[in-house]
Amino acid sequence: MSLVEIKDLKVHYPIRSGFWNRVTDSVKAVDGISFNIEAGETYGLVGESGSGKSTTGKSVVGLEKVTSSSIMYKGKDITKKANRKSLDYNHDVQMIFQDSLSSLNPRKRIEDIIAEPLRNFENLSKDEEKLRVLQLLDIVGLDADALYKYPHQFSGGQRQRIGVARAVATNPKLIIADEPVSALDLSVQAQVLNFMKKIQREFGISYLFISHDLGVVRHMCNNIAIMNRGRLVEIGTRDDIYNHPLHIYTKRLLAAIPETNVNDRAKHRANRLAVEEVYREQQDKYYDDEGKAYPLVQISPTHSVALPEDVAKELILKEGEVQA
Amino acid sequence: MEENLNKHSNISAADLDRLTKEANEEATPSSAKIIWNEFKADKPAMAALIIIIAFIIFVMIASLFIDTPKMMETNILNYNAAPGSNGFLLGADTGGRSVGQQLIVGARNSIGIAIGLTIISSTFGICWGLISGYFNGYIDWGMQRVYDFMMMLPMTMMIIVLVTIIKNYNAVTLTLIFSIFYWEGTSRLIRSRTLSESEKDYVAASKTSGTGSFKIIFHEIMPNISSLIIVDTTLSFAENIGVETGLSYLGFGLPLQTPSLGTLIANANDPNNITQYWWTWLPAALLIIVLCLSISYVGQVVRRAADASQRHGAAD
Repeated sequence: MSLVEIKDLKVHYPIRSGFWNRVTDSVKAVDGISFNIEAGETYGLVGESGSGKSTTGKSVVGLEKVTSSSIMYKGKDITKKANRKSLDYNHDVQMIFQDSLSSLNPRKRIEDIIAEPLRNFENLSKDEEKLRVLQLLDIVGLDADALYKYPHQFSGGQRQRIGVARAVATNPKLIIADEPVSALDLSVQAQVLNFMKKIQREFGISYLFISHDLGVVRHMCNNIAIMNRGRLVEIGTRDDIYNHPLHIYTKRLLAAIPETNVNDRAKHRANRLAVEEVYREQQDKYYDDEGKAYPLVQISPTHSVALPEDVAKELILKEGEVQA
Repeated sequence: MEENLNKHSNISAADLDRLTKEANEEATPSSAKIIWNEFKADKPAMAALIIIIAFIIFVMIASLFIDTPKMMETNILNYNAAPGSNGFLLGADTGGRSVGQQLIVGARNSIGIAIGLTIISSTFGICWGLISGYFNGYIDWGMQRVYDFMMMLPMTMMIIVLVTIIKNYNAVTLTLIFSIFYWEGTSRLIRSRTLSESEKDYVAASKTSGTGSFKIIFHEIMPNISSLIIVDTTLSFAENIGVETGLSYLGFGLPLQTPSLGTLIANANDPNNITQYWWTWLPAALLIIVLCLSISYVGQVVRRAADASQRHGAAD
C-alpha cells in the first residue's frame, strides 16, 4: 500500500463578476490528478509556473481547501479537517517552503521556530526540547549560537537548512518540498539537495519534490509526474521520462534543458527547433478541444501518458522504430 | 526518534549547558534595549519623553493634594486676578478660581481619559482587525458590516446625545462612551495589514506545525505588525487628548464642576478674555500643543526602533 494516495484532486477557484457578484466561472488550478507516493521514495512533480504544482503540494499538506478529491493516508481521507486532527496528520507530513525568508517568522528566534512543531505535537520538558533543537541544528550543520539569532541574520542557504530542520523536527514520514532550492544559487542548491538526500537515507523520509528544474529532479527523484495546465500529462520512472518521453510537453521541457557541450551546439539547436515544430503543427493531437490534456493511458507498468489510445500506440511504434 | 537523533548528532545532554551559554552570548539585543539606544541617539525625542513622563507624574501626584470642590467655588473678590497677585501663580478666571490648580486637575482628567480611551479602543480595534483579517470569508464579511454600520453613525452627534441622555456621568462613563466610537479606524488599518501578513509563508508554516488559529494571530502575526500598532497607538493617544478637550470645549464633555483642558480653553470664547485676560486660556492651549508634539516625537522614535533600516541608534 502506498503512503499517500491522491485520487482525482481538484482545486477550482471561483471567478465572481457582474452586478450581483455571482460565481460566473472558475479557474481550474488543479483539475483531476491522481498519483501515489510510496514510503521512502522521492516523487517529482514537474511543470511550468502556473501549472498547479504548488497548489497540489499545499493540498496534500492540508493548507489548501480542495474542491473535490480524496487524499488517503492511513486509510483516512485527510481532505477533511477532523480527520487531519485525529491523525495528528502534520506530525507525519511537513512542508519545506520555496522562499526561505518569508517562511521563517522574522520576529522569532531560531530556537522558537524549530521548536514550534515539537511544542505542538510532542510533550517535551524545556531541557529535552532545547537539546532536540541543538541536535537538529547540528544535523543541518549549524552552530549552537544560531539558537538565539533571528532569521535575517542568516544567508539564504542557511535559512533553507533551518526550514529543513523545522520540517524534520517531528520525524515526519512525508515532506512536501515546494521548490526548495529554486531561490538559491547553484553551489548552495547542491549543498541543500545532498543534505536532503542524506536525511532521507538516514530517517527514511518520502519527499514530494515540486520543481521546474529538470536537472534537479533527475538528481533527486525515482518517479516523476509532469504537470501542465492543471492536469498530469505524463507519469513514469526517471528512465521513462528522460529517455522515452511521449507527450510533446515533456519533450519540450526536456529540450529546454541547457546543454554545455559547445561542439554539438548546432545539433542541439536543430533538435530543439524540431520539437518546437512538432508542437506547433500537432498541438491539437496532444490536447483536446479546450486545450486541456487528455486522460492518462497506461502504456507500460510504470509509464502513463495523457493521449488518446490510438495516438499513444502510433507514437510507441514510431519511438520503437527510432530506437531499433 | 530519540535514539535516531542521537545516532546522527554528536550533541548529547552533557553539552546542553555549555552550548546554551555560548548561544546566549552571541544573541541579539532585546527590543527594549534597541528602543533605549534609539532614544539616546535622538536628543529632542529624549527631551520629549522626559517632558511627558515628568508631566504626567507631576499632574497625577499634585492633583491628590488639591480639593476640587473647594477649588471650583466661585470667589467674586478674585475676579480675573492677574498672575502673581493674591497668591495665584497663574492668575484666576472670571469666577475667581485658580487657573493653576484647574490646569493640574484638568490635565489629569484629560490625560486620564485619553489614556483610558486609547487602551480600550486600541485593544478592541486591534483584536477586531486581526480576527477579521485572519479568518477572512464569512467572519470577515460579518465583522466588516458591523464596522460599516459604526462608521455610518455621526460620531460627535451620537456622543452628544448619549451624554445628554445619561444622567449621572463621570470620567469613567465618558471614557466608555468615547470607546464605542473610536475603535474603527484602528481596526480597519490593522485588518488591511493582517490580510497581507496572513498570506505569508510563515503563517502557512505555523499551520502545518499544528499551531492553533488564535495562537497564530496573537503570537505570530501580531508581533510582525507591532510597529504599525505602536505608531497607531501613540498617534491615537495624541488624537484622543483632542477628542475629550474638543467636546468639553463645546460643553458636552465632562460635567461643569469637573475641570478639563477643554473647559479652560473654552474661556477663550469670551472676547474680553482673549484681549485682556490671556492667562485664563493660554496655558491650557500651550500645554496641549507641547504634549501632542512630544507624543508624536516619541512615536517617531519607537517606529524607527521597530524598523531596522531606519535606526539612528548605535547597533552594538
